[in-house]
Amino acid sequence: MTLLNVENLRVTFRTEAGPVEAVRGVSFNLGRERLGIVGESGSGKTITGRSVLRLIRPPGKILADRMEFDGIDLTRADEKTMRGLRGRRIAMIMQDPKYSLNPVMKVGAQLTEGLRQRDGMSAADARKKAIEALEAVQIRAPERVMEAYPHELSGGMGQRVMIAMMLIPGPDLLIADEPTSALDVTVQAEVLAILDGLVRDRGMGLIFISHDLRLVARFCDRVLVMYKGKIVEELAARDLMAAKHPYTQGLLNCLPRIGGSQGPLPSLDRDAAWAL
Amino acid sequence: MALIEVDNLSVTFLTKGHRVRAVDSVSLSVDTRESFGLVGESGSGKSTILRAICGLAPISGGAIRIGGEPVATPRGKAFSRKVQMVFQDPYASLHPRHTIDRTLSEPLAIHGIGDSDRRVMAALADVGLPTGFRFRYPHQLSGGQRQRVAIARALMLEPEILLLDEPTSALDASVQAETLNLLSRLREERGLTFLMVSHDLAVIDHMCDRVLVMQHGRAVEEFPRADLAAGRMKTDYARSLFAASAERMG
Repeated sequence: MTLLNVENLRVTFRTEAGPVEAVRGVSFNLGRERLGIVGESGSGKTITGRSVLRLIRPPGKILADRMEFDGIDLTRADEKTMRGLRGRRIAMIMQDPKYSLNPVMKVGAQLTEGLRQRDGMSAADARKKAIEALEAVQIRAPERVMEAYPHELSGGMGQRVMIAMMLIPGPDLLIADEPTSALDVTVQAEVLAILDGLVRDRGMGLIFISHDLRLVARFCDRVLVMYKGKIVEELAARDLMAAKHPYTQGLLNCLPRIGGSQGPLPSLDRDAAWAL
Repeated sequence: MALIEVDNLSVTFLTKGHRVRAVDSVSLSVDTRESFGLVGESGSGKSTILRAICGLAPISGGAIRIGGEPVATPRGKAFSRKVQMVFQDPYASLHPRHTIDRTLSEPLAIHGIGDSDRRVMAALADVGLPTGFRFRYPHQLSGGQRQRVAIARALMLEPEILLLDEPTSALDASVQAETLNLLSRLREERGLTFLMVSHDLAVIDHMCDRVLVMQHGRAVEEFPRADLAAGRMKTDYARSLFAASAERMG
């Protein structure tokens, strides 16, 4: 079943040097599956994710032939409808816990804010639900974390708090923007297992945005490779090692590997034609 | 001969009345022209060791010797001529209001080295930046270009030792490859000694001859590169780190 359908998405920003198209005609479908979007910084992957939630500040402009989530036309929906979707049905985990959590609010207050305001829960019920959410992301001392300020948490803990916060309303679609790039490999594996469980148990759709090609190949079902605002290749994750596009191949080859040669790493020779 | 010797080093921070032992009796020694890697999770104390060598972290026990001599406190000019550091975040480690020219010529001015015009131009060429970048500001450069500037700055005083603190973890894969290639070339050309910190075992494997695995401020296990590639570790922790990294290779 298709949860999200995007056709010919374009995002333009006005700059002093004239309009810049950050996303140039991106189309994809998403079911209840794990879709990876990979590319380097500036490739438009984050902007694509934010566009689904219409989180592009004017004068940035989102244009699409079609952008539909569960039968709702996102290109025409009014702000009230969008507010109803954001967080509740479509959630986004932002890249950096340092900048995405409120620095002057305790974690507990941030986690329960939505439950109290939106769902009208009592303080005690909201607290109980928040603690459950922290336990669901494998935080071992949830009571202590509830009382902590974001700066008192490590990057991994902060990232898990954000995941917990996004998962409390039980969204149908989760957009995760580099959710693990601030984490150590061992913690990374735990966070991925949590996300994986949610896709499987809750039947959630997941858009996983990352610059880490190998990670995406291992974790997702399908991968879109973006370069300068365009999808240059779409493939099943298991076929990533057999990627055809020279950009995808170049990204794979330039990573060092354990036991590889210590000689120069292959560099990525960009072809101007890729961006056409 | 051992160029860098760290003997039973301990670093203790005092926060909110708690004592936090960031580094707990760690010893290591790096030979001249060797490349030595420190690997571990965040909070394992690996960066703190580099900072302690530079005098940026309080040493509460143990000794640090460079070329057989104990380091002076404060570190002083002679130390800067020998040891330089490249930091993790190229967005935070360059002065935002200084041009690249000023960033690169400042160490020369402090040390009274003349001929700064020629040296700055040579330094830019050495790290593969066009000379037109000389009067730009850091915000006009990409992350990879900034890290090249940071490397150029570290090399202005022609040091023997580079301390590299996650020099590529903020960079894209393709830019990481270029930066690692640059570092390898400079090491070859100038006979540099590297002490490099990374959480990425593949990067450490690519760049280093020997590796020390750290956890919770302690040294867990040291082994040569050949043992890393073959997965020959003795401790469970080093093995789990290797397994998590190897799995990611697909």
